[in-house]
Amino acid sequence: MRTRGDRSTRAATRRRFALRLLQRTVQTAVTLLVASILVWSLTGLTPDDPARRVVAAQNPLREPTPAQIEAVRQELGLDQPVWRQYLIWASGAVTGDLGTSWRTGRPVSEEFRRYLPPTLVLTAASMLVALGVSIPLGLLGAATAGRWPDALVRLLSFVLVSAPSFLVGVLLLQVVVLRWGFGSVVATGGWSTVWLPAIALAAWPAASWARILRGGLLEASSAPFMQVSTARGAGRLRLLVVHALPNTAVPFLAIVGVSVGYLLAGTPVIETVFTWPGIGRFTVESINARDLPVVQAFTLFAVLAFVLSSLVVDLVSAVIDPRLIPTERKTRLTRWAARA
Amino acid sequence: MSAAEADVLPAVDATEAPEVVHRGPTTGSVLARLARHPSGRIGLALTVLLVALTVLGPMLTADPDAADFANKLQGPSAEHLLGTDEAGRDQLARIAAGARTTLGAAAAIFVLTTAIGLAVGATAGLAGGLVDSLLSRLVDVMLGIPSLILALAVVGALGPSLRNLIIAMTLGGWAYPARLARSYVLGANQRPDVVAARMAGVGPFRRAFGHVLPGVVAQLMIAATLELSSIILGLSALSFLGLGVQPPTAEWGRMLAESRDVVNRAPELALAPGLAIMSAVAAALLISEALRDVIDPSWQR
Repeated sequence: MRTRGDRSTRAATRRRFALRLLQRTVQTAVTLLVASILVWSLTGLTPDDPARRVVAAQNPLREPTPAQIEAVRQELGLDQPVWRQYLIWASGAVTGDLGTSWRTGRPVSEEFRRYLPPTLVLTAASMLVALGVSIPLGLLGAATAGRWPDALVRLLSFVLVSAPSFLVGVLLLQVVVLRWGFGSVVATGGWSTVWLPAIALAAWPAASWARILRGGLLEASSAPFMQVSTARGAGRLRLLVVHALPNTAVPFLAIVGVSVGYLLAGTPVIETVFTWPGIGRFTVESINARDLPVVQAFTLFAVLAFVLSSLVVDLVSAVIDPRLIPTERKTRLTRWAARA
Repeated sequence: MSAAEADVLPAVDATEAPEVVHRGPTTGSVLARLARHPSGRIGLALTVLLVALTVLGPMLTADPDAADFANKLQGPSAEHLLGTDEAGRDQLARIAAGARTTLGAAAAIFVLTTAIGLAVGATAGLAGGLVDSLLSRLVDVMLGIPSLILALAVVGALGPSLRNLIIAMTLGGWAYPARLARSYVLGANQRPDVVAARMAGVGPFRRAFGHVLPGVVAQLMIAATLELSSIILGLSALSFLGLGVQPPTAEWGRMLAESRDVVNRAPELALAPGLAIMSAVAAALLISEALRDVIDPSWQR
């Protein structure tokens, strides 16, 4: 029976959700702002003169003349006060102008257009592999807790959690491609050759998620309502999938969301092992060539992806389980929004 | 818990006794309790092995940097127990020297991140007010940036070297221990003994250093052991990419990278450093798991 009180509770939940959305959006914006200042300030850490590097990259054959350097310095706004330098850089970054590569002399955004798609393919494929492996493994482990399949799952996931991704990658390349002849050493950057690198990149998150999911399922299984369901004759699989799994969904989702950062941070390694033509490998080459604008652009992109995925996961979690929206913490922002 | 208490209060002891049994071994030092824990035992054994390799290894083995191109890529033999690498250097000597580099750098990052995290987090938790708000916002922002990505960016700016890698990973890693330390301090402030100390008029500094921080440090060390495993993984990954040590220094991640060209002829050159990294990560994971079982934080003083 629905009462007025019920409806007003839902309205309150909706209002709290709107507040949460506002609060998290502001938080995300602040993180991005501070991260952009951090990334921009890296320029100050390099011993290089940005203007000189840009001129040298664009005319690789001739020694840069002072006049050329001065022209580029003015073009980049390096003769301006520091705060204006940041504003010039940040407004460029927002509009997709990430500067000129110190190595190739081409705009960084142009390099990104070329190298980013393979990395996105790799990250998406790894996410699919990690989900496709960890959920069945976690369920299997929880369903057979204390028996040999569980012991096997625990051993396998423990070994994979301890293994560095480059070791998994080097071994996969060596055994699967060179010894067994499956797949190809040539990495095209498309979906047909992505699976081996994706498995190498997904090994750690898959194992880690399987461990967490197994633990979460077992914990949820000890809840009183599960004992009631058991008493009412629900089967073991039904108990796990229908009753325990939804209760572990929120923490699991949070971990999956956080791992976007892990996967992106792992792309330089895996792309180097498999010579995958993505932005991660390009960034490693750029670090070794002291090509800072590319490194800055990659960092900004990874932070943006990580921050946005955290935001989405947080909001989705709040929709799934409204209890997660904190109520007691009253900041100036929430008070202001509540009044408005 | 003790026999004396049981004599005085037999009724109370009778109701509490089963609980004590369920908690498992609670007597003896933490180390002794770890040694009785199944995964703690394996973790401790691995740690002893790794420490022995780090401390004694370089004394017992040949010069890790002595190249001998006439004897390159020799398989395992009595003279070279793990064979020789692509420059004819003794692989076992390089694994031992690499233990110093890899585990030493990981320990440095571990100590630095935990110490900075403790300082920032405890300051925020103890000071409260505006200081807490500012520091907490800073920690929130730092946690919004994936630590390895930040490390990559800092190495990109400073240039690849082991020292810069340690700086970069410290900058990327201090925020999480800081958040933990702050929450432990806030939790400890609610504890009966700390509340009692405040009631008794113990000043804020003595309360912080005498009552709050000792427990917080213990809790933080337990949590940080888990972080140690990801520090080792991250450090070796960045070294693998050539962003840490420079040749000819031996480092496990770098050794694996250098072995890639010859891995089909000498797979042991890739497996040895790979297994070394895995055992170090596994040791940290096992000990952190066992520590959580052995030391119930609610029982922690």
